[in-house]
Amino acid sequence: MLIAELALRDLIRDRFFLFCNVAVMVGILVPLLVLFGVKNGVYSALIGDMLADPANLQIDTAGNATLGEAEIAPLRDWPEIAFLTPRVRSQFDYMNVRAKGGRRFRTALVLPSGEGDPTLPPGTALAVDTVVLSAQLAKQLEVQAGDTIQMISQAEDRPRQLLLEKTVGLVLAETAVAGRAVMAPFETLDLIEAFYDSYSLPEYNIVGTKPLESRVAVYSGLRVYARSLEGLAPLQTRMENELGLSTTARTRDVESLLGLGRKLNLALAGTATLAAIGLGAALVLGFWSDVARKRVVLAGIALIGVPSRQLALFPIIQALTTAILGLLLSFLFYALAGQGAAALFADGLPGNAPLAVISLPQSLGISALVLLLVLLASGAAAWSAQRLDPASVLREGQ
Amino acid sequence: MQAGLKLKTGRIDLSDGDRAFSLQVEDLKLTPGKTVALTGASGSGKTLLLEVLGLLRRPGAGTLYEWFAEDGASVNLVSLWVNGPRNPDLALQRGRIFGFVPQTGGLMPFLNVEENIALPQQVTGKLDANWCRDLMDRLGLADVSRQLPAQLSIGQRQRTAIARALAHRPPFVIADEPTAALDPESADRVLTLLLEMAEEGGSGVILSSHDLDRMARFGIDRLSLVSRTGEQGEALSVLEGTSC
Repeated sequence: MLIAELALRDLIRDRFFLFCNVAVMVGILVPLLVLFGVKNGVYSALIGDMLADPANLQIDTAGNATLGEAEIAPLRDWPEIAFLTPRVRSQFDYMNVRAKGGRRFRTALVLPSGEGDPTLPPGTALAVDTVVLSAQLAKQLEVQAGDTIQMISQAEDRPRQLLLEKTVGLVLAETAVAGRAVMAPFETLDLIEAFYDSYSLPEYNIVGTKPLESRVAVYSGLRVYARSLEGLAPLQTRMENELGLSTTARTRDVESLLGLGRKLNLALAGTATLAAIGLGAALVLGFWSDVARKRVVLAGIALIGVPSRQLALFPIIQALTTAILGLLLSFLFYALAGQGAAALFADGLPGNAPLAVISLPQSLGISALVLLLVLLASGAAAWSAQRLDPASVLREGQ
Repeated sequence: MQAGLKLKTGRIDLSDGDRAFSLQVEDLKLTPGKTVALTGASGSGKTLLLEVLGLLRRPGAGTLYEWFAEDGASVNLVSLWVNGPRNPDLALQRGRIFGFVPQTGGLMPFLNVEENIALPQQVTGKLDANWCRDLMDRLGLADVSRQLPAQLSIGQRQRTAIARALAHRPPFVIADEPTAALDPESADRVLTLLLEMAEEGGSGVILSSHDLDRMARFGIDRLSLVSRTGEQGEALSVLEGTSC
């Protein structure tokens, strides 16, 4: 396209003015990018730190309630719930555990779990005869994945204890669950509760006072994981409203961090808006004055037969080229600043996370916004260019 | 119908506060390949008439202005203004029918001599590298073909402007006092080259000048703009002479 070629040739010849406009852009964009990157980096690190502990997404019903399957079933369809499991009464969730053939027992908390539990690595399935052990318990029992453990009840007044043999499917990382814990399918906990409730369990040679068939499935509570930190508080409120139960969760900590993020976003958006207004005004005047300065040249192009509408593209093409150069340089300086900050504040963030982070989609979004701003800023210059009178070349000369 | 430009009952009225000026052209016929000089005192409207002829200014109401091509096709040039001064058809016809030599070059400062000359060919789509080379050779620009206008003398710039105006072989070249900025010797040389190359390219030349002696020496037909006072007391300029 001829007009594009002419615009670019003129821009190269007029590179001093090009550098001026690019410098204006870089001067405004780089500090904003650094602010945005650091906000992202620090906030992401804090969020990542929080997400690393699934307990921050956990909601537990408080105390021992009485919930039937009919009350729990609707919750399984709530999209904001990532994982849900009923709980047994809290006095029945401790068992003595030892390695099969081992001599020393350890008391461990038995937690209901299953596929989708954020405490487990993604994709971990939990068969009925399988359990997952906390790192501390596995270490103390000296067992590893594939070994067999024995779980024995603690009912001292009963003539025969319930003994369950389970295969260790997985040993969790030390950061996943604290203390001695056994993650087991809910059916295992249900069985333990039935034992403590004195039901007969012929499969385990337990003779109780009631037949197992007469037992009605009633749960003492729920353990639920929200799908996101943002969804934790609304989910907790919904659960409390619809189940009529009080719950416990780390909502205050989570909301405090999310609130910090919202305030940082607001402050950054305000700063960016003011900067955009300033940048826009500077560019509008810069591009407009460029057209005024080059009016005889532009009129000369119109004189030889280039339509006015194409002439309007001349400042737009120059403006967009300026913007692309400005963006490239701004991101380059941002990267250098980010590396400098990383060198200065190494180990400042958990997990050695980078201090300044701007993702590719965010970079593309910022670039699109800047290009749009520049496009709008060049509108006045384009309007001015297409109104130039080609006859001015004859009247005014160059 | 003979090829050329025909302008009849032309009138352009200008006003600026309490001052008024009118330019009147009863009947003007211009033929491709011929040269004509518009003469008249300063302020007589020479440039104004060139602007009207060159599709740079809207003619007054009642003006008839047409272009008749060699193949018999005709274009009503007044009707091109109906869609406004910035419509593409107007620019297109201006580029096809005319080449322009302003007083001081009007070259693109970011293009070298060769690129400046080739520009009208690119705009009109009439690419002809050989003709560009011929123009540069004949106008003595071959040695400076890679230089930018800022590196040229005034005479070289004016010769480049002449080559650019002729590059797409337009039916007419409009030259507004093309030698005004040159010393007499250079002016004669530049005017000679303009007329020679226009003849070679088959282009007519419409030039404005207040240098009657030079026009006479070169044997250029003259159309004079004569200043009078109009019926309303306005300054009136009337074109004498009708065809060339």
